[in-house]
Amino acid sequence: MHHRWHRLLFLLTFIGTASRAADTPQARMDEKHRAFLRSYCTECHNANKQKGKVRLDDVSFALDTVQRADLWQRMLNQINSGEMPPEDAKQPDKLAKTDFLDTLSRTLVVARKSLGDVRGKITMRRLNRREYKNTIRDLLGVEMDVRDLPADGGAGTFDTVGASLFMSSDQFEQYLAIGRRALDESFAQAQVQTQKKRFEPETIVPGMKRALERMNDDHRRFTEWKAAGGKPEDLPKFGFRGDATAAGFSDSIWQGNHEWYERYLARPELQNGLLLENTMNETMQIAMDLPKDLPTGDYVFRVNVGLMPDMPTKRAFLSFLQASPLDKADTTFLASRHITAPLAKPQVIELPFSIVPDGPRKFIFMEKRSLYTHGFSLAGFTKTILKDPKDRDPVLWIDWVEWEGPLNKGGASSPVASLLPAANGAKDRNQARALIEKFATRAFRGNPPEPEFVYRLVKLFEARIKAGEKFDEAIKTPLSVVLAAPAFLYLQEPATDGKPRLLTDLELATRLSYFLWSAPPDDTLLGLARSGELKKPAVLAQQVDRMIASEKSSAFVSGFLHQWLTMERLDFFQFNTQNVADFETSVKAAARQEVYETFAHLLRSGDSLGRLLKSDFVVINGLLASYYGIEGVSGDAFRKVKVPAGSPRGGLLGMAAIHAMGSNGERSSPVERGAWVLRKLINEPPPPAPPNVPQLTRLEAKALTTRERLAAHQEEPQCAQCHRKIDPIGFGLENFDAAGQWRTGDSYWKRGVPGMREKKWDIDPSGAFFNGPTFKDYFELRDRIAARPEKFARGFTEALIEYALGRPYGFSDEPLAEWIVGQAKGSGYNVRTFVQALVASQHFKAK
Amino acid sequence: MKPNLTRRRFLRSSSALIALPVLESLGFKAFAAPKLITPPKRMIFLGFGWGVTKETWFPDKTKTGATWDLPAGLKPLARHQKDITVVQNLANRFTNEAHWGSTFWLTGANRYGEPGQSFHNSVSADQIAAEAFGRDTRFTSLQLSCENGEESGHGPGLSLAWDRRGKPVAGFNNPVVAFHRLFSDDTTPLAQRQALLKQKRSVLDTVLDDAGSVARGLGKEDSDKLAEYLQSIRDIEVRLSKDEQWLDRPKPRPGNDVMEPKGEVAGYEEIKLMYALMAAAMQTDSTRVVTYRQPVSSLLKSLKIPFSPHNMSHYGPGPRMDASQLRDAKQSELLAGFIDRLKATKEPDGSTLFDHTTLAYGSNIQSIHYLDNCPTLITGGGSGVKLGQHLVMSDPKTPLCNLWLTLLRGNGLDVASHGDSTGLIKELVA
Repeated sequence: MHHRWHRLLFLLTFIGTASRAADTPQARMDEKHRAFLRSYCTECHNANKQKGKVRLDDVSFALDTVQRADLWQRMLNQINSGEMPPEDAKQPDKLAKTDFLDTLSRTLVVARKSLGDVRGKITMRRLNRREYKNTIRDLLGVEMDVRDLPADGGAGTFDTVGASLFMSSDQFEQYLAIGRRALDESFAQAQVQTQKKRFEPETIVPGMKRALERMNDDHRRFTEWKAAGGKPEDLPKFGFRGDATAAGFSDSIWQGNHEWYERYLARPELQNGLLLENTMNETMQIAMDLPKDLPTGDYVFRVNVGLMPDMPTKRAFLSFLQASPLDKADTTFLASRHITAPLAKPQVIELPFSIVPDGPRKFIFMEKRSLYTHGFSLAGFTKTILKDPKDRDPVLWIDWVEWEGPLNKGGASSPVASLLPAANGAKDRNQARALIEKFATRAFRGNPPEPEFVYRLVKLFEARIKAGEKFDEAIKTPLSVVLAAPAFLYLQEPATDGKPRLLTDLELATRLSYFLWSAPPDDTLLGLARSGELKKPAVLAQQVDRMIASEKSSAFVSGFLHQWLTMERLDFFQFNTQNVADFETSVKAAARQEVYETFAHLLRSGDSLGRLLKSDFVVINGLLASYYGIEGVSGDAFRKVKVPAGSPRGGLLGMAAIHAMGSNGERSSPVERGAWVLRKLINEPPPPAPPNVPQLTRLEAKALTTRERLAAHQEEPQCAQCHRKIDPIGFGLENFDAAGQWRTGDSYWKRGVPGMREKKWDIDPSGAFFNGPTFKDYFELRDRIAARPEKFARGFTEALIEYALGRPYGFSDEPLAEWIVGQAKGSGYNVRTFVQALVASQHFKAK
Repeated sequence: MKPNLTRRRFLRSSSALIALPVLESLGFKAFAAPKLITPPKRMIFLGFGWGVTKETWFPDKTKTGATWDLPAGLKPLARHQKDITVVQNLANRFTNEAHWGSTFWLTGANRYGEPGQSFHNSVSADQIAAEAFGRDTRFTSLQLSCENGEESGHGPGLSLAWDRRGKPVAGFNNPVVAFHRLFSDDTTPLAQRQALLKQKRSVLDTVLDDAGSVARGLGKEDSDKLAEYLQSIRDIEVRLSKDEQWLDRPKPRPGNDVMEPKGEVAGYEEIKLMYALMAAAMQTDSTRVVTYRQPVSSLLKSLKIPFSPHNMSHYGPGPRMDASQLRDAKQSELLAGFIDRLKATKEPDGSTLFDHTTLAYGSNIQSIHYLDNCPTLITGGGSGVKLGQHLVMSDPKTPLCNLWLTLLRGNGLDVASHGDSTGLIKELVA
């Protein structure tokens, strides 16, 4: 080990130099395209006849300045929009035009990338929202709700890229306020007692019985009133207060409600527990409203729960949600639990949760179920929609629910806890100064604050003392200012005159820590930095292994994958529960988690990145196994499971989340999927969606197969230039529906189109890559992609460099990327090798 | 280039655009708002992300001038037709981002204009106006925005506004926060508030001190980053100075029909409420420049439209096009209500808010992926442009910035050019 990393360092010095000197490739149109310009453009756009003030006979074929790139961009836009060449002029043939557009779009992408190349410069950046939250947590032991801080990223970069992380005055004030709130909580939590309370849900049964009696009584009097003539003025005689009550009455509604209540209340299981019965719109919920004065912190719910006998196993899941703080109908899904115990021998499940300052305190338990959003009557619902008792009848029985907390005692478990007790009883300003210095050093990730800064902070403290505050209170003002100071908010790596230099050990510890944990360095890292050990290659490699093994690296896994694979698409739309009924909230959450857990497994176990292209195992939990129809997986932990023979699962292309992203929530989208595969798996990203290309919508209202509909993409060169590459791949994935379930047929029908009849067809997934090999079905398509792991590895490496170094990936990084991929290839594309090689590189250790 | 360490010097060394007098003490009343003789000029910009339905939002191009028919998408504005002007064939020539409806709408910048950067923007028209109009009001300018801007087709940014350095200006994303910032009175006693202001100043001094040590030895890019932090401190300085001026004056009360929002409002009601707050902010002269980056995503949800905004924007005949048209009509309906409100609100001299306001309504996206002929509607008497008109510019790529320049000049601002402007739109001034 030792030896290997030493050799690596030696190599690195070499590439480090090489890459700094490397020339950025120039974006250049091939000379052969001059003929195209001569044939179709320069007749009007020449030296004499500069139509539209544009001259193209002398255009530079090197796109090496912003002005030159802009001129070519205008040409591309003009041809794309169909304005040029003008209708009455000579037109290029379709293939020539398609190829010209294809080359020009790609050359422009290269030109923009090359002109925008930051050439290795890392801009100083502030903590992004995720990092800020984690940093406050590590520092003060308090979870804060930071959703009100402005969102980070944008312009297609990672949220670690400094150039797109901004700061505003409102934000500064938010940092001050959140920091203060977190300090208040941290101080308060250090002193609270843990509490515990149990709720027996059958205690609500008598109330339900009374409700049924009232309902029946109302109905009896309503019937009598009707028999007596049904006159509005008689209503009071029958015990009704006004006609509003009477108008709201209906026999059929009463019938439905009455039947439901009678059936439910007759169940013997209600003696000492509650059954989560289905009602019209959703399953019955147990909502726990926790007291307003309960301290913030980490808590746990315990639920003693069992299953009704002989019910379908796919329904054996309990969902745990949080009501929105504004108390509207919205809820946030928190977790799902696989229930396996029978009612006779219930099991206790644990659900950890946090109460955050000003956050919601209402928590909900319910059966995992799709929410039917359409207004069926209760009677209609139970009779027709859920005809089968196995779908309709309750499956989960709850004996009791209890909560306990706060468990962590907040500040007490945080690194600053050791400083805080000093606050009690401390009186004078020397103690305040000592406390402030220690706190600021920790907050500044090991860098001691400047004396002048400390002096001013002490003054702030004294002003609060003078204003009558006690030590414990007064000290919070300067401490909260520390949490809004630049040395805390910014990851600083000053480089004099912008000249490259090696990072100091503390800077290296910080960069490493925010890369793999999205959080500040811990004591071990700081200690190694201080002793000068950290920069030793063997020590550094060892630390990378330790950090990856730690649970904290989940922040890297989810933060990186979510952005790299553009998983925000999963939240773009409400999945249509009529089309994809099983893809409800908890399955969607598990599907998202599958992507993270699979990658985390590869990273931690040192397995190959190629497993993301194709794999004979999946990393799933009981819920996803049930969704995928894989037997023998029980419980909530994600684990490695062998893929059954013939199953399409295994690798990203077998994952429900990936296919759901490649849909519009209702139908699969071959275009989204094909473009995603090109971008992420093959690393041949199509140029961004061009403006002003005429959209073909004339086929929307026709009953056609998906292939027939998209055939229009091949008619016009403007479309064909990209879609000839995108669409065939998308068609190859059509066996997955909008929620990633396997299917062999599809259909099309559009509501609101007169005379339209549903069209049904068998899916034909066969096709060919553009200028590439053919495939007969999904399995062969996946094999073809998996056969080129080096392309996938390259795309992954470029993303990793951008995420880790916090700057856009540029051409000047190519030697670095090549070297990392080379290292990884030697290890069979071991995921950890990519990370280790990047950290070992000169680039990671320099500014 | 070492930034100055003390706040005062730092302020003085700043560029002239804020022109902030350093108010040393309370009671410095010379800068209190002067008594108004004529009502002030005001500007409003409303941007709505994913464009419109091109088939039914634009008036017939063959009928221009004062005689034109309202298309279906603008029908709800019928009662104001005499007071609105629709301009066609305006576009930002550098924009190529088919999903960014607001990022460059008011700036006309070239994303790739700066070598060595993959994103660049420049100052937005509203911020030019705010520099002049914001001196005497409690809020220099007001930025309203919505949650999930990207989903609503706005592209990168925090509001429609971008400052002099081309950095995004933050906005209030929800009406509750906006209401409290504008109208909630601080019940703390005056002396205590003065003490609080003093403490806030010490806090700023303290963090600036730390900024001084951070600044040591920074290269250019890093200094630029730190400058954002310093700018934010300077902005608070400006606000504190204003707070000081306004300390003994209670916040104005909005009209009776503008109530403190209770609970969460989203979509249609959210926009309506934001419009009411904007009118109230103008009426109370809390600010004179407002931008609103309107929600599209939550609007669709509130209209029970089952498509994501992007999906809907790729409409073809059928339900998605129906949805897109419904969105157009509902947005026009909301705008018509807002114009009613501006017309109904009286200024001290008997004229109305509408008479002194310039309102621009539109998007950088026309429809689907089209970035030419940006939907553009202007109204209000503030800039003196001709209203009740349908204008089709003869050059189909007339810079949108020509309109912004025309409106800024119409408001008496001495601006030489804006973004990629090439001149004024003479047809509007005539």
